[in-house]
Amino acid sequence: MASHSSTRTPVKKGDVLLEARGLSKGFPGVWEHLILDKLDFDVRAGEVHTLLGENGAGKTVIANILSGYYEKTEGEILVRGVPVHLRSPREGLAHGIAMVHQELMLVPAFTVAENVMVGLDAPAFSYDISRVEQKLEELVERYGLQVDPRVRVEELSAGQQQRVEILKVLYHEPEVLLLDEPTSLLTPHEADQLFVVLRAMADEGKGIVFVSHKMREVFAVSDRVTVLKLGKMQGTCHISDTNEEELTRRTFGETVPEYMERPAVQSEALALETCALVPAGLRKNPDAKGISIKVRCGEILGLAGVSGNGQTELIEALTGMVSPDRGEVWILDQNLTGQPPRVFIDRGVAHIPERRKEIGIVEQMYVAENVALKDYRKQPFSKATVLNRQAISDHAAQIVKKFNALVPDLWETECRILSGGNVQRLILGRETWRKPPVIIASHPTEGLDARAIRHTWELFLELRALGSGILLVSEDLDEIMSLSDRIAVIFDGEIVGTVDGKGANRENLGNWMAGGINRAA
Amino acid sequence: MELAHLWGILFISLHAMVPITLAAIGESIEESAGLFNIGLEGILLLSALTGALGAQASGSAVMGLVTGMATGAIVGLLFGFISTTLRGSQLISGVGINLFALGFVALMLTVMGAPGFHSVAREVQVALIPLGVGNLSPLVLVTVVLAILAWWLLQRTQLGIWIRAVGENPAAADVAGIRVNAIRLGAAIAAGVFAGLAGAYLSIDWFGAVTKEITAGRGFIALAIVVFSGLNPLLALLGGFIFGFFDGLATWVATYPGIKEIIPWQFVAMAPYVVTLAVVAGAIGRVRFPSALGVPYVRE
Amino acid sequence: MFASKSLKKQIEPIVESLLAGLVGLVIGALIMLAFGHNPLAAYRSLLLGSVGSVYSVAESLAVATPLILTALTFAVAMRGGLFNIGAEGQVYMGSLAAVSVGLLHLPAPFNLIVALLAAMIAGIVWSLPVALLKLGRGVHEVISTIMFNWIAHFFAFYLIANVLTDPKRGDRTISIIESARLTRILPTATLNTGLFISLLTVAIILFLLWRTSTGFEIRAAGYNPHASHHAGINIRKQVLRVFLIGGAVAGLAGAIQVMGRPPYYAVMSGMPQLVNLGFDGIGVAMIGRNHPIGIVFAALFFGGLMVGGRIMQFDPGVPFELVRVIEGVIILALAVPELRRQFSRLKGRWGRKE
Repeated sequence: MASHSSTRTPVKKGDVLLEARGLSKGFPGVWEHLILDKLDFDVRAGEVHTLLGENGAGKTVIANILSGYYEKTEGEILVRGVPVHLRSPREGLAHGIAMVHQELMLVPAFTVAENVMVGLDAPAFSYDISRVEQKLEELVERYGLQVDPRVRVEELSAGQQQRVEILKVLYHEPEVLLLDEPTSLLTPHEADQLFVVLRAMADEGKGIVFVSHKMREVFAVSDRVTVLKLGKMQGTCHISDTNEEELTRRTFGETVPEYMERPAVQSEALALETCALVPAGLRKNPDAKGISIKVRCGEILGLAGVSGNGQTELIEALTGMVSPDRGEVWILDQNLTGQPPRVFIDRGVAHIPERRKEIGIVEQMYVAENVALKDYRKQPFSKATVLNRQAISDHAAQIVKKFNALVPDLWETECRILSGGNVQRLILGRETWRKPPVIIASHPTEGLDARAIRHTWELFLELRALGSGILLVSEDLDEIMSLSDRIAVIFDGEIVGTVDGKGANRENLGNWMAGGINRAA
Repeated sequence: MELAHLWGILFISLHAMVPITLAAIGESIEESAGLFNIGLEGILLLSALTGALGAQASGSAVMGLVTGMATGAIVGLLFGFISTTLRGSQLISGVGINLFALGFVALMLTVMGAPGFHSVAREVQVALIPLGVGNLSPLVLVTVVLAILAWWLLQRTQLGIWIRAVGENPAAADVAGIRVNAIRLGAAIAAGVFAGLAGAYLSIDWFGAVTKEITAGRGFIALAIVVFSGLNPLLALLGGFIFGFFDGLATWVATYPGIKEIIPWQFVAMAPYVVTLAVVAGAIGRVRFPSALGVPYVRE
Repeated sequence: MFASKSLKKQIEPIVESLLAGLVGLVIGALIMLAFGHNPLAAYRSLLLGSVGSVYSVAESLAVATPLILTALTFAVAMRGGLFNIGAEGQVYMGSLAAVSVGLLHLPAPFNLIVALLAAMIAGIVWSLPVALLKLGRGVHEVISTIMFNWIAHFFAFYLIANVLTDPKRGDRTISIIESARLTRILPTATLNTGLFISLLTVAIILFLLWRTSTGFEIRAAGYNPHASHHAGINIRKQVLRVFLIGGAVAGLAGAIQVMGRPPYYAVMSGMPQLVNLGFDGIGVAMIGRNHPIGIVFAALFFGGLMVGGRIMQFDPGVPFELVRVIEGVIILALAVPELRRQFSRLKGRWGRKE
């Protein structure tokens, strides 16, 4: 593809390369709040500009809009001062804007060079692989991105694959480069190497947008930083004009939530315990310490952390869905490591999953069926494999009523048409009605209205009083801080700190969630 | 066993190789793009009929082959359209094609005179190349050439990269600006053309007639060959020859005195299918399929 | 608003099947016109020939009887998320197993039950390996069932010609033993008590799928294996179950076709009474939307088409094979998801871009 820098006017350091004015984005159907709310943002030549925020803040969305993958709903985008309308990533590329996505968009069976060729604007019967390989080798040299263009992507480590994504994009010689959480798959050492490369690119005159939630990186590589919270701008400043505390506050919020008073934890019996657990699917180094947590009966342990730091994998190991690589899982003093989900369920583990519609329910089945999804095997819902429809109906009606789920019918409504909030109410009812001894709740109140959130919190405290041990996994610090007896923070697949819930310091927690340097034991 | 027998078996094997290999080559391209067409059997049957009719109407065997290819292209287009634009079930539409073909060909044969059978006039059959030890169909050579060309297309061209990217990771291809559904539609048509040629070959060349059973599951054997060859057209050539060999062997065993008393012909006839099963069961572990095979692509 | 919506939702698949049927009949009519026949006369003949007399109704039911079963084989698998097109071969094996029971010389009262059981077991023997290959080696059931169909085809030929041959007549097997024959319902038609076996099977499958925990697990796993795994359902077990049920039911179909067919009650060489039962069953299942009740109606529809088609052949002379063409078109139409919506999309094509 033709080199664009040769056809554009040369840049001076500080020139605005890409600018967004009054940018808004709403998704159809999600009318509660805009994903992005009138943002102003710009990228200048020679700078690394970091977009900082929690998950759901909107940083990925804005990057996708700027690169042409998503459409904006309102506002203007200007490239070198000229308004443009980007309808596809190809158009973005034609304007010199390229994006490296958080999820790898690679073909594992192809070599690095072949992956680059996928995006080429070349004639159908040509096959210029040697030229591609050559140019890739030059780029590797120039930026120090050690990757062999002839190796198949599936043979590379995650870190190397990340580099391939960057190379793919560099091939088109963009002026503006957007990277979405590029270090999510990298070790700290690889991340440092990446920062050197980004610095080199910026020094060449490129504008780099770096999306992250990790404080360490922000200070390691940025020139300027912009904080986003729930789609709204919280401010932009030079990195030298700010410090960690201020940024943490802006990112994670300042309010001190009300700690819900409750009697102290009575029992020492353990509901759930893990010993040096290394769940499957975490791309970690072989000598990872593993996760060791304890949840006592009648205790709520809040696991705080930004999504993508290992929570999903941990929960899969704790519910039997995926066997862990190493370590042990003990439920009520029984070693259930590697057992299938049925064993965990029978032992009394309830799970309120994060992905409600994909894992929590079978959405093509009816309300009553989904309420009975884990209990249908047992009396009174079935006897000698024959289902007792009446019992299932009565039970479902009870759950629907008690949890205020808005469902038109028990046996005619497919759960597919219910709102996320209603599905969650059904799931909460289903999982908790037996007063299970162990509860693993993942983002349990996401998407619920204030009243439902309150009810859920009260429900958890009730169950806690009855002796359930609850592992609460959430990104919402308000929730964690209100509910937890103790709080543990997970970052990069490891527990980086544990404190008492009462009187916990929000800044500290935010700091740990961002992998901050300030780690008190 | 005399030398003449060996040559005989070799020639039968080569001739039997042609239809299944051609269909397998086309399907390799199609599956590389992520579509899975079990309607190959139906395309073979339909184009066997239309190829024969085309040859007779025009008086030329080549035109007959072209008619067959055109038939295949049309059916392939229909299948591709249902699978991509309409996001329909590939398995169900494949079954529909097979059923339709069964009915339509049987219908046409009845209408044309003898139900279930129609012979193609000698003059319009493909002329064989006399080679002293036997007569070879030029389509054997065509098949070999096409296998090489198909391999070259998939592995050594930009278009091949796009096709395979679409089959492996359509989301990544989409982001890179490739028109996923257009590529898939093209692959479906290509597969139809190859299967159409194979079907026309059955009636105009090999058997010299059209019958309801002329395909005998060859469309499905082609699918198995695609699996066995890992979507590689050159290996499909080898696979096709191996299965053709069993075909030839079955015919020989059924007629050779001394052998036919010991080995019942039915078991030799079974052999290609048993071997297919064994190979597929053994090969599946090794073979990697395009990750997006059989899944309609919907942009998020 | 909600109540009417759910009723609409129930009607939707029926409407789609009817719409697909309409498309098939229209295309069929077009083909007839192309050959110079009068579609209206042909369809009238078809209708009269299928339900116009007690005899024809009985014949339609007789044709429908085994189709109901082979359709159930496919439908149960689809409910479990799998594509079992192996009924064809399972039917052959079932019928031959039923025939061979005669060789056991059991006391008279047992023969019927044993024959049916043997057929079901034979069907399972032919379907279980498919499940095992899928679970153990990841072999896609489409390919393995087709291979098994063809192997059964030739194996059956062998058995008919060599092992189970009637010593007096080389072109068919020994007959089903007298005490194992199914009684005819009408003296002139081929309709026999096998119909009740079919309907009983429908009732059992209906009960199984929607009223037992086994059926619940099969359906849940078919819809969403991941969520089912999370809920503690053993996904792999469902694959086995579905193929077990399918094989047994298909074997039963094969048995009925032999045990209820006068005058010979035997499998003829070439298996004319067995061939295509499996494939037609797939069509019946699709038109019946993979629901046991729908399958009964669809089987009746097919039966009517087949029987009426024979009459249509005499007068006005439209070839019987057209019936299968119509079948194929209907299936193709059903492959398009939400057929009705596609029609309305085509009508409102200009204007909004979806």
